[in-house]
Amino acid sequence: MNSDSPLLVLWDKCCRLMVLALRSLWLHKLRASLSVLGIIIGTAAVISLMAFGEGSMHDALEDIKRQGATNIIVRSIKPPDDGSSQRRSFTVTYGLTYADFERFQMVSSVIGSVPMRIVDPQEIRRMQYMHRGRVVGTTAAYQNINKIQLVMGRFLVDADEEEGDGDDVGMRNVCVLGSDVAEAMFPFESPLGQTVVLNKHLFVVVGVLAERMPTGAVGGSSVSAEEFNNDVYIPLRTCRGRYGERIYIRQSGARSGEQVELHQVTLTVTDMDQVRTTGDAVRDLLERNHLKKDWGVTVPLDRLEAAERQKQRFTVLLVFIASISLFVGGIGIMNIMLATVTERTREIGIRRALGAKRRDITFQFLIEAIVQTSVGGLFGVLLGLGIVYGVPYAAEQFFNSHLPAKLHVLSIFLSLGVSICVGVLFGWYPAQRASRLDPIEALRHE
Amino acid sequence: MSFHNYTPVLSTMPGVVRILDLVKNYELEAVTVRALRGVSLTVEEGDFLALMGPSGSGKSTLLNLLGCLDRPTSGNYYLGEEDVSEMEDDQLSEIRSRYLGFIFQSYNLLAQYTVVENIEVPLLYQDRRLSEETRRRCVELAELVGLGDRLDHRPMQLSGGQQQRVAIARALVNDPHLILADEPTGNLDSRTSDEIMQLLAKLNQAGKTIIMVTHETDIAAWARRVVRMRDGHIESDEPNPHPNGHIALVTRH
Ligand SMILES: Nc1ncnc2c1ncn2[C@@H]1O[C@H](COP(=O)(O)OP(=O)(O)O)[C@@H](O)[C@H]1O
Ligand SMILES: [Mg+2]
Repeated sequence: MNSDSPLLVLWDKCCRLMVLALRSLWLHKLRASLSVLGIIIGTAAVISLMAFGEGSMHDALEDIKRQGATNIIVRSIKPPDDGSSQRRSFTVTYGLTYADFERFQMVSSVIGSVPMRIVDPQEIRRMQYMHRGRVVGTTAAYQNINKIQLVMGRFLVDADEEEGDGDDVGMRNVCVLGSDVAEAMFPFESPLGQTVVLNKHLFVVVGVLAERMPTGAVGGSSVSAEEFNNDVYIPLRTCRGRYGERIYIRQSGARSGEQVELHQVTLTVTDMDQVRTTGDAVRDLLERNHLKKDWGVTVPLDRLEAAERQKQRFTVLLVFIASISLFVGGIGIMNIMLATVTERTREIGIRRALGAKRRDITFQFLIEAIVQTSVGGLFGVLLGLGIVYGVPYAAEQFFNSHLPAKLHVLSIFLSLGVSICVGVLFGWYPAQRASRLDPIEALRHE
Repeated sequence: MSFHNYTPVLSTMPGVVRILDLVKNYELEAVTVRALRGVSLTVEEGDFLALMGPSGSGKSTLLNLLGCLDRPTSGNYYLGEEDVSEMEDDQLSEIRSRYLGFIFQSYNLLAQYTVVENIEVPLLYQDRRLSEETRRRCVELAELVGLGDRLDHRPMQLSGGQQQRVAIARALVNDPHLILADEPTGNLDSRTSDEIMQLLAKLNQAGKTIIMVTHETDIAAWARRVVRMRDGHIESDEPNPHPNGHIALVTRH
């Protein structure tokens, strides 16, 4: 007798059987690859769907971070038309007011607030240059709440709201340019200290913003996608003075006007936990003070839920597709293993006669099934990686669309683990059948 | 390695194989086939026994029982000192891998294995790791049966006689108490048959106990003892005073 430890013996056997299984796989390349096709597709599906789910979640999270997870965005919304708008000329007054802004400060959890007046695309001029962009009147607080990065100069400061000197109405005519505006207006020189013309008034450029990622639209709510790089920021006080409170729109001869005091107020709270309750408090406040529903409250954090729902949908889809293809793959393996067992009945008889126990035979065929599914799984992982990296690239190149994918390392191990499990699960029955064969009958088999 | 490693142990033990009133019935749907109807037999260590008889007389059934591939309906079978007639399937496998060597009519090598790997197979099931040492032993056995230059060939690349030599080497690798051969020359021409029988005779000379089924008298002539069967009974049991190959080997000494 010998004193080899049983574990070492088992490992030794395992290695031998794996080599044997790989050899027979190599011998039947085509057959093997057809039979593991389901496994390949299954694992590739797991990896790619997880990556796309993760990618969209990641995108959404980034977006939320840009909008500020602790922010509450309150906007003015034009209420639905009533019959009175039949008149040729009519000014609608709606939206957030300066009084609202003051009231928001009373909500105890609010630690910061930024009022904004947004004047729709205006011509921004300087010498021969012209660019269209939004003019946003706001305060210094805007910088912190929106985590603004500057490439040069400064953002608006509190002093810009104060009465200035050297101007007819005591307003400070300073502006901060979005990155695209700066590039269009000052292609060759530094914009700092230079002047641009907004609505016939000269504004001194005091800063230029770094490029900002746009924020996505929130489905079904009042917030549409926003682009920031064409914005010009001026002090709120200056904005009120220069543009007035009314905005006139000419539409097919009809002249309609809108009077909005503030287009948006962004509120911020200390903690994410407070965002929702504060949002509710703000809604309450607005409901009490507005007759019409001319406002909307958006909590970016809500988008997190939307993204989570999206990810969940991906997960459900993933589980569905993966389980179908892995099931089909498993059936394929079982089918091929049953055929193999029949084909190799004589081999089983020989091995049994030479001393193989039932469990040795079970083990041999189980290992063979597992090796097949793991090899299939490995190819599936490769295919999945190809999809995760190739498809977004192709989408970008050929359809110019952004398809976020973020490889989840766990998914590789998960899908490999699942393929091994499929091997065990679907290899079990054929292996059992092989081991139950009567050695004498099996030896007689042609 | 030489054959003389296997020196016969002159024991007082009553034979390697003892079967007592062995009965084997096959229960078919309508009838019961009585393949063995009470067979008793003792085979001494170092014996070379030829089992003869017409087709259907129960030779293969008896050999399967002797080879622990099947269990008797009744009766006892002592292999060495162990009663194997009541053993579980796993125990029988253990017995086969430790104490028995098989030689089949159709060689029964594993096609996906090389010569050395085929010889190694019985060791795979002996709860031990295969080492350089066991590998060396397999190579020596291959050389012993005259296939030292074919170690990495596959069965398909070998002739029938060569394949049967591999099978013989395989039957020796676990140093068995008993070698069972079912018509080992049934698929071979007479010249190759002679070579194979010479090999078996040499093994027997070196002390191996062999039980061989055959229906050819000139093959049975190599054995020391001839047992004839008919209808599940032993009809006659006679020693062969002048087995083939015996003299030749002795004179070679
Ligand atoms: N598995 C089996 N099932 C039913 N009957 C069998 C089986 N094996 C052998 N027999 C019967 O047992 C008898 C002896 O068969 P066997 O031992 O093969 O004879 P031999 O090898 O001497 O030709 C025959 O009548 C045969 O038909
Ligand atoms: Mg027979």
